Amino acid sequence: MGETKNEYRLLLPLLPFLAIVPFLSLQGDNNSTDFAWLIVVAPFVAFPIILIVGQVYNKNETWKNSFKEGGILGLAALLVSLSTTIWILYDYLIGNADINNNDVVSWLEWISFDILQADYTMAQNRVLGVGVWIDSLSLMLLFVATFLCFLICWFAIGYMTTDPINEDSNHRFFAEFVLFSLGMFGMVLADNFLWLFIFWEVMGLCSYLLIGFYYWKESAAYAAKKAFLTTRVGDVFLMVGLLILYDIYGSLDFAVVFDDPSTGVGGVLVDSGQLFWALMMLFIGAVGKSAQFPLHVWLPDAMEGPTPVSALIHAATMVNAGLYLVARLMPFVDVHHHGVSGLEDFGLIVAWIGGITAFMAASIAFVQNDIKKVLAYSTMSQLAYIFTGLGSALYFLNIDEYYAGYFVLGASLFHLFNHAMAKGMLFMASGSVIHEVHHAHDHLHHGSDDGHHDFDPQDMRNMGGLASKLPVTATAMMFGSMSIIGIPLIGGFWSKEGIIAKTWTAYFEGETLMLGPAILILATAGMTGFYMSRMWFMTFAGEPKSDVVDHVHETTPWIKEPLIILTIITAISGFVLAVLGIVDFLSNKTDDLSLHGKSLTDKIIYELEHAFLPDDMKVRMVGWLTILLSFIVGPIMASRVHGGSLKEGEKANLFVGWLVKLSGKFGKQDVSWLSESQLAEALDKRLYFDDLYEGILARTVIPFADFTAWFDRNIVDGIIKQIESKSVLGSFEVRKFTTGSAGDYILMATVGVICIFVLLMGVSF
Amino acid sequence: MIDPSWISGLGVILFGIGLLGAFTRKNAIIVLMCIELMLNAANLNFVAAASHYGDVDGWVFTAIAIAIAAAEVAIGLAILLSLYSTQETISLDEANILRN
Repeated sequence: MGETKNEYRLLLPLLPFLAIVPFLSLQGDNNSTDFAWLIVVAPFVAFPIILIVGQVYNKNETWKNSFKEGGILGLAALLVSLSTTIWILYDYLIGNADINNNDVVSWLEWISFDILQADYTMAQNRVLGVGVWIDSLSLMLLFVATFLCFLICWFAIGYMTTDPINEDSNHRFFAEFVLFSLGMFGMVLADNFLWLFIFWEVMGLCSYLLIGFYYWKESAAYAAKKAFLTTRVGDVFLMVGLLILYDIYGSLDFAVVFDDPSTGVGGVLVDSGQLFWALMMLFIGAVGKSAQFPLHVWLPDAMEGPTPVSALIHAATMVNAGLYLVARLMPFVDVHHHGVSGLEDFGLIVAWIGGITAFMAASIAFVQNDIKKVLAYSTMSQLAYIFTGLGSALYFLNIDEYYAGYFVLGASLFHLFNHAMAKGMLFMASGSVIHEVHHAHDHLHHGSDDGHHDFDPQDMRNMGGLASKLPVTATAMMFGSMSIIGIPLIGGFWSKEGIIAKTWTAYFEGETLMLGPAILILATAGMTGFYMSRMWFMTFAGEPKSDVVDHVHETTPWIKEPLIILTIITAISGFVLAVLGIVDFLSNKTDDLSLHGKSLTDKIIYELEHAFLPDDMKVRMVGWLTILLSFIVGPIMASRVHGGSLKEGEKANLFVGWLVKLSGKFGKQDVSWLSESQLAEALDKRLYFDDLYEGILARTVIPFADFTAWFDRNIVDGIIKQIESKSVLGSFEVRKFTTGSAGDYILMATVGVICIFVLLMGVSF
Repeated sequence: MIDPSWISGLGVILFGIGLLGAFTRKNAIIVLMCIELMLNAANLNFVAAASHYGDVDGWVFTAIAIAIAAAEVAIGLAILLSLYSTQETISLDEANILRN
């Protein structure tokens, strides 16, 4: 594999970038947060360089091979961001004196004006500055974003530069990629709502550009438009929400707003009804960005983008932006710490939206055959879990049960972490599968036009039995799926358990309206077990379903490393971080909570007890029911339909071999009758939401657009054209005065002077 | 001492002659001369007023106006020269290519 070795030599230019942050940190008493701007600026510098240099050296071989069309530059920029993040995280974790909770570093007063006060003195009012806001929430999300952006960029170098369909335009991809990363980092670091919104929009733009990367494909262009417009609906509401917030608090700075959310500008007590609508508007923005019901329609179509984009936008970063925004709203409702009471309804609405989306997305995922679409719906469903958890947290905090509130807030954010890691990896693994299947297909039917153009490398019905062909990918996907399903002890189990338990607790403690979300997410746990197992079995287990499978090999460089790293993280991080007290850490209230000051063994026992044997008998029942549904019922049903051992002579590796063998042991069940039912068709059509929206748009927006087009053509343009043609006619008349004879000009000048004299005399008398 | 109104009257007459000439004559050099005549009519008024009020400002204005008139004549004659070299005429009736 001399060629492969050569490939990794390209990483050598990264070494100086790796050295930047250690150099800064070792140099005297530099404060890490003073360098937080590096996180955003590094991609910002890389973006134009990649774009312009790429345009110049488009067809150049050196550019293509040794810079991977800018991928290496992007990787370098993201490396700087990642190492800076780790530096700040390290400082934060060792409790550096300079960083405490909610540290704000402000560099610049961007917009500020002086205000004349009632006693005739001037006061400076900081409207908008540039700064960073660092607490455990933003640090966690920042780490997730930088880490995954780095790995996905690495993966994209392998994936995009060997992608057969986009010759010579990869610099565009990498430029948009780093711009997107910039948006995400900036949004997380922003220390006020307006900056958050600006970076939020940067992400929206880049998601549009990246989804439509294959813009010559009609479906990709359509998907990009759909994603952009759907999220724009949410963004308009978000903007309204920000205006209401400004109206209440007179500032959008976190420092001002969160200092005491119960008193608004001028010391007035905040009206909970007004604040409720502000929060609702912000929540609708989050719903659009995180693809929740009813603004969920864009996410499945967004899979038209290249697979690294799916991993980046739809797993690791952008969809988490909405969750981040909702998690940021906690201080408003936290009645224990100056919050505004009377906002339980907001928490219930968030939880209901989450529950509905979780159930709906999981049920649609049952019938998808496209491997990326399954993952897309799974993303929606898992994000909805987190929303349900955040809804419960909002509810608990608002009725002053702050222990439960912070616990479920921490669990939700922990689930965000687990899900981002697992889903980023799953998307990359699916990319690996698609890539290798596509290459095998090209190899097999090389140069022959025998009607294989309709071959879809993403369709799981063309796969099967890939476990022995793609060992690393199969292992990665198995651990990722386990984390998403919530197999005990792995990844997402710890966080999902917490969310479900606390949502049920809210019901048990007398809030009957919580029953709906609680039942929905419990059912979804079992459904997740089914559809994730189904995806894995359809792809990796059983006999091959097409002749392409025999020719699949895991050869492309750059693709395996991120998968291996993330597999390890997904497999162990759930347990390790839970024991280390990440739930307390993320909820940002370290002093009050449970794990403080215990020994490691005690912590392990405490966590295991809480996961499997909670004190409350009813919660314990719910927990065991979740495990039963997601671990036993779902996967076994899936293996009865799609499982099976490999072809004779094929051997899968240690990690996945047992699973493949096991999947063949539960017998076979034929479900073809089910797939012809009306329910299956409805699910296949995504429960008709897309048709409904398109119908509504066709009735309302399109006639309106036609009318405005007519109005523009005939009224606006008509008036302009009338003015234009009339003035042309007028100018013909005026031209007659220029006779060309000097005598006439002198006469006119004389008459003019006389007129001026007459006027002046008229004025002076 | 002559009454300044006589001198002003002379100025008005000179100005009228100049204006009439500028309107009616076709020869560009004559028109230029007529313009000079009008300028000098104005100068005469300045000088008359200056001597009447015993104020030096009028003389200063006159000196400046004469300098400007000289510069103007230089430019005017240069234009006429190039007009003649291209159009072979200095009749204002024939030099009308800027019309309409």
